[in-house]
Amino acid sequence: MNVSKNWLQQYLSFELPATVDLVEKIGAQLGAVETVTELSDRYAGAIVVKVVSCQKHENSDHLNVCLIDDGGVVQGVERNEAGLVQVVCGAPNVRADIMAVWLPPGATVPETYDKDPFVLTARELRGVVSNGMLASPRELALGDSHEGILEIHQDFQPGTPFGPAFGMDDAIIEIENKMFTHRPDCFGQLGVAREVAGIMGRPFTSPDWYLQEPVIASGEGLSPKIENVAADVVPRFTAQALKGVVVRPSPVWLQTLLARVGARPINNVVDVTNYLMLLTGQPLHAYDYDKVKALTKGDDAEITVRYPRAGEKVHLLNGKTVEPRPEAIVIASGDTLIGLAGVMGGANTEVDEHTENIILECANFDMYSIRRTSMAHGLFTDAVTRFNKGQSPHQTTRVIAEAIRLLSEVSAATPASQLIDLQAGLSEITGLNIKLDFINSRLGLHLTDMEVITLLKNVEFETYDITNLGEIFVKPPFWRTDIQIAEDVVEEVGRLIGFDRLPQVLPSRHIVPAAKDKLLELKKAIRTSLSRQGANELLTYSFVHGNLIEKAGQNVDQAFQINNALSPDLQYYRLSLVPSLLDKVRPNLKAGYDRAALFELGKAHNVGAIDGEGLPQEFNTIALVYTAADKLKPAGAAYYQARYFAQQMFDDLGYDIEFRSIETLPEIAIIKPFAPGRTSLVYLAGSDIPLGVVGELQAGVRQAFKLPEHTAAFELTIDGLLNISPRSTRYRPLPRFPKVEQDICLKVPADCTYGELSALVEEFMRRQERLDSHVEPLDIYQREDDPKHRQITFRISLASYDRTLTDAEVNRLLEELSVAAKDAFNAERI
Amino acid sequence: MKYTFDEIKVAADRLQKELDGLENKADILKSVELRALYEQIKLLPPEKRRDFGQQVNALKEDIAKQVAAADSQAAALPPLDVTAPFDTNTPPADRPHALPVNDGSVHPLMTELTTVLDIFYRMGFTAVESREIDDDYHMFGALNFPEGHPARDDYDTFMTKQTDANGKPLIAPAHTSTMQNRVLQAHRDNLEKGDPIAVVIPGRVFRNEDLDARHEHTFYQLEGVYVDKGVHAGHLIATLKTFLQTYYGKTIEVKTQPFYFPFTEPSFEFALSCPFCNKQGCNICGQSGWIELLGCGMIHPNVLREAGIDPEIYTGFAWGGGIERLVMMKHDIEDIRHFESGKLDFLRQFS
Repeated sequence: MNVSKNWLQQYLSFELPATVDLVEKIGAQLGAVETVTELSDRYAGAIVVKVVSCQKHENSDHLNVCLIDDGGVVQGVERNEAGLVQVVCGAPNVRADIMAVWLPPGATVPETYDKDPFVLTARELRGVVSNGMLASPRELALGDSHEGILEIHQDFQPGTPFGPAFGMDDAIIEIENKMFTHRPDCFGQLGVAREVAGIMGRPFTSPDWYLQEPVIASGEGLSPKIENVAADVVPRFTAQALKGVVVRPSPVWLQTLLARVGARPINNVVDVTNYLMLLTGQPLHAYDYDKVKALTKGDDAEITVRYPRAGEKVHLLNGKTVEPRPEAIVIASGDTLIGLAGVMGGANTEVDEHTENIILECANFDMYSIRRTSMAHGLFTDAVTRFNKGQSPHQTTRVIAEAIRLLSEVSAATPASQLIDLQAGLSEITGLNIKLDFINSRLGLHLTDMEVITLLKNVEFETYDITNLGEIFVKPPFWRTDIQIAEDVVEEVGRLIGFDRLPQVLPSRHIVPAAKDKLLELKKAIRTSLSRQGANELLTYSFVHGNLIEKAGQNVDQAFQINNALSPDLQYYRLSLVPSLLDKVRPNLKAGYDRAALFELGKAHNVGAIDGEGLPQEFNTIALVYTAADKLKPAGAAYYQARYFAQQMFDDLGYDIEFRSIETLPEIAIIKPFAPGRTSLVYLAGSDIPLGVVGELQAGVRQAFKLPEHTAAFELTIDGLLNISPRSTRYRPLPRFPKVEQDICLKVPADCTYGELSALVEEFMRRQERLDSHVEPLDIYQREDDPKHRQITFRISLASYDRTLTDAEVNRLLEELSVAAKDAFNAERI
Repeated sequence: MKYTFDEIKVAADRLQKELDGLENKADILKSVELRALYEQIKLLPPEKRRDFGQQVNALKEDIAKQVAAADSQAAALPPLDVTAPFDTNTPPADRPHALPVNDGSVHPLMTELTTVLDIFYRMGFTAVESREIDDDYHMFGALNFPEGHPARDDYDTFMTKQTDANGKPLIAPAHTSTMQNRVLQAHRDNLEKGDPIAVVIPGRVFRNEDLDARHEHTFYQLEGVYVDKGVHAGHLIATLKTFLQTYYGKTIEVKTQPFYFPFTEPSFEFALSCPFCNKQGCNICGQSGWIELLGCGMIHPNVLREAGIDPEIYTGFAWGGGIERLVMMKHDIEDIRHFESGKLDFLRQFS
């Protein structure tokens, strides 16, 4: 939203402060300022001059040699004896006795000011010196018109600086639109002027034409017929026909005003509608009456506000043809569409230089309908920006009346019909009774009723003390469609007084300790554990390309699909985290990291898994991928390294777990990337609570991700742990007697797993009373010539709580152990 | 496939035998036997040609499939004793072990989040993580965004093909405020006990935007919610200021700018005096001396009411701000995309 400081000033009864101070005030109490543009420099050299004489250039068929009167204000320029300056001009409309704008040598062409500044000089044009130039509207950055020079039809002393004369010594303050999402009034200069007065503690009074219901002059000659059959989304449609319109460029004051806030002057009729929109926030539209009438195919022009019929199309002013969505509001004449209501007018009824009669429309459309239509057709216009904030339906007659007054001034138009004002149940503006305490307690202030009343009255609220009991009546003005509840008034009071003036005190509370969140704490502990093991935590996107899912051997049908992603890399919610990590392995290897463990904590989703809220279940998982480049020639299977990280992590967290082998892996997305035979399932020890999977990747997955053979991963869900307390301690009292260490090597059939054997050994040792023992795996060995057996060696350290152990005792114990192993697994002690 | 032509039946048998004996299975596809069948197609009368050709193709496909399966099997490794702590026949030096501890790292965003959460814990806030997939109600409805409201446009939300119970697309939360209704309900009991609701909510949020050095479609936010009797906007400003002074370990100034969010009234944008240059102006604050950090405001009465809290009795404030910003400023990180890049070049700088 571009705000002109000079335009605001026209409506204010006090002098605005310096721009820098004004901007700071606006920022603090109205909304964030994006940019401030000072226009003064742009028009620094431009001078209003009188063309005294104009003669054809001898060597040209279109150039004229003019003598201009600049009142002698410009220094250092060549003049004739009468003090006039010679300028060559090619514009068809240049002639003696007109007022124009002169850009003398040394001046910068305003159009080029912020691009590639072009500085004028005195130079010869076909043998005749031209001192600078006479400027066209385009060269003055006043729109696209370049057919002729800008003519000024106002009386000025020659030599008057152009900029200040037309308010171009202005500062344009761009306020972020987002700030005004709920403030339709602030999409007009008038609304912003009012707010500025309010935040500066000054009373504001809107012009009479905006405050009072207007008396609109009726005229005769045309009888437009207007029907609103979409009353559910068109609360008010106001229109009037005007005749005797002379379409021409607007007066310079109007052109410059529009150009300052970034609107392109077009012609006087369109400019007046834009001017009022920019001033009040209320869009208007002008139709060529005779073009509408031609489409109606009757004696009078008829306009219907309705929904589109199947297959109907509208050819818009921007040259595009659209088939309006079925719920769009359209303006039709007979069977022809002439506008997409509230969005853009139709090309077939455009006002042009031949237009003599117009229908002026000033309507109110449902903000939601306009927004959806705009989105559906990708049409974002100034009218949409304003309508979709919810303009007040109470302003249409006021605004159209002012537009008609202005059109009579700039285009000689006069009313040719009565005002047509179709209303469909306008909401009454009601007031609120608000306790002063309600306001003060929410702001932490101690304002008196008079202070509150003054603040609100400054911005034209109707408000007074109801009783002496600290209650006030507040009725918002009709343009404040945003004020509906008492809290809205609290915001208004707080903002007008300035939120930075609120007392900064901390809330007080009981000294109850805040509970820490289990999941967040568990995640923190996991991070600490894995990073201490030299692993690196990374974060990858929750959304992945379908290819990634398929490369991991998973099925995209199980994944939530994103419908509207800008990038194809974000097609699906991921089914598990491992594939995302696998995707990061190769780039890091290439970056020179030959060995690394990458882990991530995140959420996985699966279509069909629904939680207690009826929403997709969120699985909190921890995934890790370990890899070592082939060139390191890593020994042993990578599986054991991944298993090691998992084991250490659970040790740190205080959970005992088991790695169980399984013949056939379950068909679950999280397990899909893993290779059968080289993968174990992880369980909480001695329970059926599954925690996840550790293993190497399927050959196909390894190939798809171009992974080294020595790669393994785990993915574990941690939700299951949240309701299980970690074990407290494993502390055992220290025996007073010396410790002895003894190794035992057991030769077992190859199909006896280490897990089975070590469980037996540990259980055996645990059964020994008054004995402190530790069992540690020392070696797992398979002779090349005996693939049917393995030799597993444990180192057992023992200490008694009662006495010093003798060698004989220890040997006897280990012998008993080997018998137990023989009975269970046919093990042979070596 | 049942082959009806004798020539093909014979060739199929021969090819199978040849395949079984081959070291490099892919060589079978270059077999003379196969090439001969293709040559023969050309010599057949047209009426026989089609069927014969189809069967030859089928044979070739069958063989190709066997080759692919054999390839994959060759790449598959023999089973392991997965219950063991290390591999058979590995000497102690080659057994699993931790990587150098100095190479380990926690993601810088998570480190910062921990620091931030710790301060809020000490200030009496409990915490809960936000969801990564949610419904329209929690994204908009519960937060006083009417259906079709233009404020919905400010959030470029990702939506799924799958729908919720109301037939609306599921949503990737564009702010952590999706959790407001849930935490207000979950802690409503506090109010009856005379305690405030004080919760911070960290989480991942998503905006359907194009990526560049300053914009990510995936980022982290921290939401805060505080509700009690007599809570006013001054409490909000003081709470955030106290947090920031603790976080930066120095005295700072704060200021607010009015803003618009449907779920707070009034709404603010909150800025702090630049802690890196003490308001003198530096690259981090863009020479302005101020850093705009987060959005905040007093919780809209409709949001409280929606969670079953009487806004006539209780008031509260909420805020939400990005974590990336804090980390980028702290370490002078030039590109937001590094965070989710998974690059060890980046991550190991934080080990």
